[in-house]
Amino acid sequence: MKDLHFFDANCRIGNDLDIMPKTAELLSDLDRYGVERALVRHNAIRWGALPSNSQIAEMVREDTENRLVGVWCIMPDSCGEIPPPDQFFKLMKENRIGAITLSPFEHRYVPRHNVIGKIMDAAAERKIPVLLDAFAEKWNQLYDFMEEFPKNTCIYTEACGKWGYDRQIRPLLDTYENFYFGTAGYWVQDGLAILAKKYGAERLIYGSNFPRYNHGCGMMQVKYSGLDHESVAKIAAGNLDSLLKGAQL
Amino acid sequence: MKEAIWEKKGSLAEQLWNTGKLDFPIYDMHGHMGPAYGIYFQNCMPADMVAHMKRIGIKHLVFSHHETLTGFKPNPEVVEICREYPEHLRMYAGIIPQRTEEIKRDLALFDSWKPYAVGLKILPIYHNHKLSDKEYDYALSFADERALPVLIHTWGNAPECGIYETLCKYPNAKFFLAHCCFGAWEYAERCVKETHNNVWLELTAVPGERGIIEKLVGMVGSEKILFGTDLPWFDEYQAVGGVLSADITEDDMRNILYRNVENILGKDW
Repeated sequence: MKDLHFFDANCRIGNDLDIMPKTAELLSDLDRYGVERALVRHNAIRWGALPSNSQIAEMVREDTENRLVGVWCIMPDSCGEIPPPDQFFKLMKENRIGAITLSPFEHRYVPRHNVIGKIMDAAAERKIPVLLDAFAEKWNQLYDFMEEFPKNTCIYTEACGKWGYDRQIRPLLDTYENFYFGTAGYWVQDGLAILAKKYGAERLIYGSNFPRYNHGCGMMQVKYSGLDHESVAKIAAGNLDSLLKGAQL
Repeated sequence: MKEAIWEKKGSLAEQLWNTGKLDFPIYDMHGHMGPAYGIYFQNCMPADMVAHMKRIGIKHLVFSHHETLTGFKPNPEVVEICREYPEHLRMYAGIIPQRTEEIKRDLALFDSWKPYAVGLKILPIYHNHKLSDKEYDYALSFADERALPVLIHTWGNAPECGIYETLCKYPNAKFFLAHCCFGAWEYAERCVKETHNNVWLELTAVPGERGIIEKLVGMVGSEKILFGTDLPWFDEYQAVGGVLSADITEDDMRNILYRNVENILGKDW
């Protein structure tokens, strides 16, 4: 759409035992709703960071129009399962991967500084966004994580329910200036405008949570949030675009 | 990129995208109001809610006040809120099964609350009851005698709540199954198809779920689906956007957003 561009921060494709949409289906839905670009992670990260990293890179390559940007999952520093940070980030760039995520509870480690500090510190220094989608309803652990890594650029992409969770999320927005809030599943009446007025539209990032949710409902909510066009454009695409462009891979 | 649904000339999706409104009234058949214990709402008071409704063109919101359902605000006080916004607000009288005398007292007044009170709201699970429990008999018989709407909270555990059995007992009441028995879609289908042609599925929490509106339309037909949002829990633009985002016909969308309600309650209520 010419009046407004959308860049979806919250899409998952591939595996989950082969019932989930893959690249073609995501691109088809992006077309249907007029979403230009998407930040996409693997649906089966929980089954393994390395195979899902490899497969999401393949699936991103299937998009020949460069509309998709991938997300890779990190692992603890000590076991050597992923390359050292510089090499990992170089590989990310080569594979059109723009952000990282983590799945500590399913991969069975504690997300503390002495476990993942090397790669998280390097990500903070290079301003590489960290997608937070592993802490659904684990608010204590999420608060601990943010205390441990206050300098990282984090995008909350949980969609852990579609009932507004201001009481849990606002303290994080209050405390961490690099904490960004993804809109998927946050469907409270007038909620986006209220958050944007309190924290700035720069802190909100449009996400659909595809394939569970379609793109269209959230697009309409953003467009008619009641904010001015400049703020809407930032939430719809501008903020995510800026974060990814600011990352030094 | 191909043409997006919002760009299809003359479509409802294009109309809402470009103007923020549709060329027909929308009826939201499931709302609330006021603070709620498990969530923070900044805009949950009548003036903010009505302003939100007017922005998108909701003709009527039928709501049950949070504080009525939690036992703090009696139904008569909610009638007074409706009187302040007579063009927009309608209410379900909240039924608390533990308060049998209050139910009788309120229902004795029900006819005097017209046109604001249009039906009853029942939340069996929240009130630690099954719909089939005897504590609901009086209210359900009252609704059945008058062919009133009864909005019943349902979710995926609906099969354990005595819903279907109760629907079968009351052929005249108009039952709206809130949230469409979310997740128990086949059970919802049974409740619609194997009762007395007096059951509709109400969509709160469903719009936006990829493919689910399509599935429900396929199962029961759009004539049996009503629009709702739990306002202020869900933004009207998100929810209407979710209906227009579904891969269903525009006739289906119109049925869901207003035609079915007008067939049930008329245009002037």
